[in-house]
Amino acid sequence: MNQQRCEQCFSEIEAEDLRCVICGVVTPETEKPPRPAIEVLRCDNCGAAVSYDVKHAAPRCGFCGSTTKLEEISDPLEQTEKYLSLDVTTEDARQAFKTWLGGKGFFAPSDLLEQTKLEKIHPLWWTGWVFDAKAQVSWTADSNANARESDWAPHSGQVSYNFDNVLISASRGLSDAEVQTLAPHYRLEAIQSKEELPNDAIIEQFETQRSAARSKIIHNIQTMAEARVHQDEVPGSRVRNLHVHCCLEALSTERIAFPVYILAYRYREELYRVVLHGQKRDVIAGRMPISWAKVLLVASLLLLGLGILGYWLSLQ
Amino acid sequence: MYTLAAAMSVSTEHYDCESCGAGLVVSDVQRSLVCPYCASPSVIHREPEKDRPSPDFVIPFVIEDKTASEKVKAFLRSKYFAPSSLKEAKLDNIRGIYLPSYLYTACADSEYRAEIGEEYLDEEKYQARDQNGKFVTKTRTVVRTEWYTLKGRHSMYLKDIVVSASAGLPNHELEAVEPFDLRFIRRYAPAIISGWIAEEASLSKAESKSSAHEESMAEIGTTLNRFLPGDKHRNLSYSTDLRSETVALCLLPLWVFAVRYHPKKPPLRLIVNGQTGEAGGHVPTSWVKVLILLSVLIGIGLLAYFWSTQ
Repeated sequence: MNQQRCEQCFSEIEAEDLRCVICGVVTPETEKPPRPAIEVLRCDNCGAAVSYDVKHAAPRCGFCGSTTKLEEISDPLEQTEKYLSLDVTTEDARQAFKTWLGGKGFFAPSDLLEQTKLEKIHPLWWTGWVFDAKAQVSWTADSNANARESDWAPHSGQVSYNFDNVLISASRGLSDAEVQTLAPHYRLEAIQSKEELPNDAIIEQFETQRSAARSKIIHNIQTMAEARVHQDEVPGSRVRNLHVHCCLEALSTERIAFPVYILAYRYREELYRVVLHGQKRDVIAGRMPISWAKVLLVASLLLLGLGILGYWLSLQ
Repeated sequence: MYTLAAAMSVSTEHYDCESCGAGLVVSDVQRSLVCPYCASPSVIHREPEKDRPSPDFVIPFVIEDKTASEKVKAFLRSKYFAPSSLKEAKLDNIRGIYLPSYLYTACADSEYRAEIGEEYLDEEKYQARDQNGKFVTKTRTVVRTEWYTLKGRHSMYLKDIVVSASAGLPNHELEAVEPFDLRFIRRYAPAIISGWIAEEASLSKAESKSSAHEESMAEIGTTLNRFLPGDKHRNLSYSTDLRSETVALCLLPLWVFAVRYHPKKPPLRLIVNGQTGEAGGHVPTSWVKVLILLSVLIGIGLLAYFWSTQ
């Protein structure tokens, strides 16, 4: 898609934007209708002259009372533009789930594999934003580096950061922990256009308006920049009063759907949920039952061991 | 009275009313008018010129005239030293005006320098009398500050600088009722100003730039003051390079009141932000009221002195 960009900071702008959301520069008007030198604006209904009415927040005819619609301030819901292909088959997913369940280590109940019943397994696409941006980051902070009498000394700096292919979840269905497990393993270079998605695909809808989405992305950039400055730029080991200002350039965002398998399984009457990556079969996040008998056993053994150690130490 | 571009030499143009055909004489700073014969509201379009750009944006009126009058009354009530005749004056000359303004944007790269104060606790010895009246040395904890010089660079976008583009209403008067909520800005459409008074820009972009720069530097100063670390700071100085400047013309909604409160004095101009209802304007001081207050205070002081010496 040929996205329009701001003349100054080169960030993406939408057709409805009057100004660039990053740097405030006016976006060029697409077409200017030719206008007569003097014009009486007329009511579409009765032809009488209309004037702008504050109460109705629209031009209104004084005779018939009808109002003329103005161009709305546009803040549409975000729409998925592209999707990533589902590369793991249902059979692969089933197999991967079994392997995962089998390899869950000591605290899993011994009868887990035999007693587990897979209730549901289906693919869906969850949604998120993937953005690129450059940021000129100015920062100041106090840290213990170069401190004299006080615990703190001031520091400042300016640094350029690139943010490439950063993923922010828009999903309401997946938890943050699940997204963190899945996100690093998507192959963003294999993005396809939306039309190629299977007909019966379930795609989670963006439930966010454009303005809220932009705020969320800018907030994320701010948080990431603060973390990076804290870690890489500020000298010393203790930091306070960290101030970070980002001047963004060339912000562009794609609204993408990511494939995932949602699995539900039952173990002894209780239902558990697991999510499995749609492009890499061994990436799985989910909850599994714990054998409390085993936990108790280990805890008592530990206590016993500590008790013996204590007794031995007291004898020395 | 609100005078259109008072300081300018105004020439006139001739149009025929589209509704009734009557000949209309229009000053070349007017952008809209109401035909005196048939009451039809008209909007005039002129081709943009170097010193007279076409409007890019308009913020429509949100506050009605009645609400605006109440805001002005409340504003005058809050001014204790305003002449009583002003507070009682009738607000009958109210006009809704779209004021031309320049919306200025720029990238600001600043180099700053400030002294940053870091506090620490220290013990201090001091002399004090004990119960027997003898001098003894005691210690106490005090907060001390050590000062560091901090230099650095700071970059930011200036997005929301708005300055008057009208010679009729200077920028400092507009500042009194700012800010406008620029999220509700609209692309200029004649239908929004139809039936209202609208003016062409009477100050050129270059003429308004110094006001824009002043406001920019003030905004950068506020930002830098919040940006500095430490427990406190002093002697902040900064020099700024403003680059990639852009200017757009935006029509702002203002309710303008001309209040006549004294037969010999010119009417007082008060304005109300037509979007937020913020009222402003220079209110004269009644020296009689100030004198009365002063004499009352002096009287109380004298009485108190008199009683205390009894």
